[in-house]
Amino acid sequence: MKKVLQIAQREFIVTVSNKAFLIGLLILPGMIALFALIGPRVFNMQNFKVEGEIRIVDPTGIVSPELKSTLEKRKDSARRADEARRAMEKAPAAVRNIAGSVPDQALQTALGPVPNIALVERPAAADIQQEKAWLLEDKQEQKHLALVVIRTDSVALAEGKTEYGSYDLYVPKGLDDRADTEIQQSLRDALINARIRARSLDRKTIDTIIQVPRVQSVTVTKDNERKTVGAFNFVLPAAVGMLLFIGVMTGGQSLLTSTVEEKSSRVIEVLLSAVSPMELMAGKLLGQMFISLLVMGIYMALGLATLTSLSLFGLFNPWLIVYILIFSVIMYLIFGSLMMAIGAAVNEMREAQGLMMPLMMMLMIPWFLWVPISRDPNSTFSTVLSFIPPMNTFAMLLRMASSAPPPWWQVWLSIGVGVASVFGAIWFAAKVFRIGLLMYGKPPNFATLIRWARSA
Amino acid sequence: MDIAILLKGVTKSFGAAKAVESLDLAIPRGGLYGFIGPNGAGKTTSIRMIMSILFPDSGELSILGHRSALEAKDRIGYLPEERGVYRKMGVGAFLTYMARLKGVKEAGLQKRVKESLESVGLGDTQRKRCEELSKGMSQKVQFIAATIHKPDLLILDEPFSGLDPVSSRLLRELVIAEHRRGATILFSTHVMAHAEELCDSVIMMHRGRKVLDEQVSVIRRRYDPRNIQFEPLDHDADCSPLRSLPGVERVDRAEGHYEIRLLEGTNPAEAMRHIVQSVAPARIELSRPRLEEVFINLVSGGIESEEQKQQLKAGLTDVTAEAAKL
Repeated sequence: MKKVLQIAQREFIVTVSNKAFLIGLLILPGMIALFALIGPRVFNMQNFKVEGEIRIVDPTGIVSPELKSTLEKRKDSARRADEARRAMEKAPAAVRNIAGSVPDQALQTALGPVPNIALVERPAAADIQQEKAWLLEDKQEQKHLALVVIRTDSVALAEGKTEYGSYDLYVPKGLDDRADTEIQQSLRDALINARIRARSLDRKTIDTIIQVPRVQSVTVTKDNERKTVGAFNFVLPAAVGMLLFIGVMTGGQSLLTSTVEEKSSRVIEVLLSAVSPMELMAGKLLGQMFISLLVMGIYMALGLATLTSLSLFGLFNPWLIVYILIFSVIMYLIFGSLMMAIGAAVNEMREAQGLMMPLMMMLMIPWFLWVPISRDPNSTFSTVLSFIPPMNTFAMLLRMASSAPPPWWQVWLSIGVGVASVFGAIWFAAKVFRIGLLMYGKPPNFATLIRWARSA
Repeated sequence: MDIAILLKGVTKSFGAAKAVESLDLAIPRGGLYGFIGPNGAGKTTSIRMIMSILFPDSGELSILGHRSALEAKDRIGYLPEERGVYRKMGVGAFLTYMARLKGVKEAGLQKRVKESLESVGLGDTQRKRCEELSKGMSQKVQFIAATIHKPDLLILDEPFSGLDPVSSRLLRELVIAEHRRGATILFSTHVMAHAEELCDSVIMMHRGRKVLDEQVSVIRRRYDPRNIQFEPLDHDADCSPLRSLPGVERVDRAEGHYEIRLLEGTNPAEAMRHIVQSVAPARIELSRPRLEEVFINLVSGGIESEEQKQQLKAGLTDVTAEAAKL
């Protein structure tokens, strides 16, 4: 056992001190952090301020005072945040949960600097072509943002019409889309206010009348009732599956390459003089298992930290972490031992590609089944699949992470099937490993590996 | 007698090919044995079975009193034919790792690694990566890895292959030092000259079977010398009378000397006296039987043509053998 631990220790240290591993490990969270921190500054997303002058030609004489008032209101940051919150109430529950936890200051930062748009009213009979030329003037004290021409029927319905007219908007070349949006939103608000006022109605009353917030549905099961967390339930299984995939591929790929390297550098028989093939295999499997768990642990911690920061941790069943670990160890041992056997059988990495194909297929198949399992986790198809190795680990975790987890006996039966598969895979791998390590020359195919396992 | 390696009727096949057939061996503790034979004779397979890297189809093994080498791995040193090092690993770290796997205790381990490297002139390589070493240096590091735990039994599979003369000489000294320390040594080689000059005893293998298992001194006695090398004082002297001397079977002219073949049963001392009386000698000596000749004689029953015989002979020497005269 001591020798197994020594081999495992070496595998672990050599792998974690490898630059390529460290880069691979940190690149994903690093990129996310970089994008979150530096992205907005690089792309000037938060610091952009809509500032300048717009001209309005308003034959109705009603819209421009409303627009002026709207633009003034939008200069008031607190009121703007209130509006943003009101708009949020119409959003889905999951989005509302996130927004609810955001403090005012963070919301102000997210909304960016308050716009500063000056409105210049032009005579109703102004020549539109001349006004357009204003947009193209070279020397501009204040930036000329837009020319707005309000249509005559924009506040009062034209005879025989059932729809209001709106406005024409002329902008100079290269106007930022955020300025365009700001102007159009202000115009929309101004037009609605003008129309309501024209009909002698009250905007507040109408807002209240039309407001029906979305509610969070309640999932009713035989055991209990709980709030439905639709999108989260759909995304969580995929995240768990991805975690499992990353864990298996990190450890398995490392096992494959290190075994091929040990064989090609002819150090393998030197090692076999000190340890038995089984000890060597066990040590390598154990060492890379810790690598796999380390990688998964880091990604899992990042994921949980994100959930916590978004106040979504309550939706996550902490027991799922325990099951993720159990299933990932099972899946890692099955695929890791088989990948190591392939590493022992070939002379160089290139030769391993053909033998890796069936394994990669087995790892990829569950991804095609993600949607049907997540949508209907307790269907006959999902249930049967969660007992067929080696897909059972992935399928069962998808079911467990879904909105309708399976009964516990099914979970443990699937774990039992997984453990039996681990013994089968290690038995097969150990035989191929022992023979393959000392075989040089023609690379074997899968049939040869099976023959080795039978003859060993 | 205390036996280090005992094999009884060990057989191993790969598919239809029998690599080793009914092999019996008994190597006493403290012995220095050569395991010789041409490539494909079954030496490496036998060694791998002794090391429990391969398992026999039938037969029994006892290694240092255990039924399997796995139970005594920490007391066995093994330098395989296919050997290498972790290229990216430091030399010191590699040896420390191997020593730990061999059960060497932590106390004094670093000192032992340092001293071992210094003993082969590699004291300054401890912090270097293995990939930075030359082939000869790498071979020395591999030898240290095999012996750092001071094993009771040292098994070397083709240890001299690919070595230059200087490295060969050093390796020979290291092997002898290990033997003096008390280790039982079994080394395989297809170059019989190596075994002839280093071993107490040899085991000859041919096509998976043992054809000879004897002390070198006994072999020399048993396979009577029947060849005399003779160089006349006067190179233009007429040597034809030698052909008619009693006991002489054949006289062949070789480069700078004559090879005189004696009839079976002839007393070499008497024949030599007749020769020097007949032609004045510059040099006369009895050729000792060489292992490869003994081997050829032993297996010649199965060899039909002279060409086959020459091929077999070529397989028992190699291009480095002459250069690496030990």
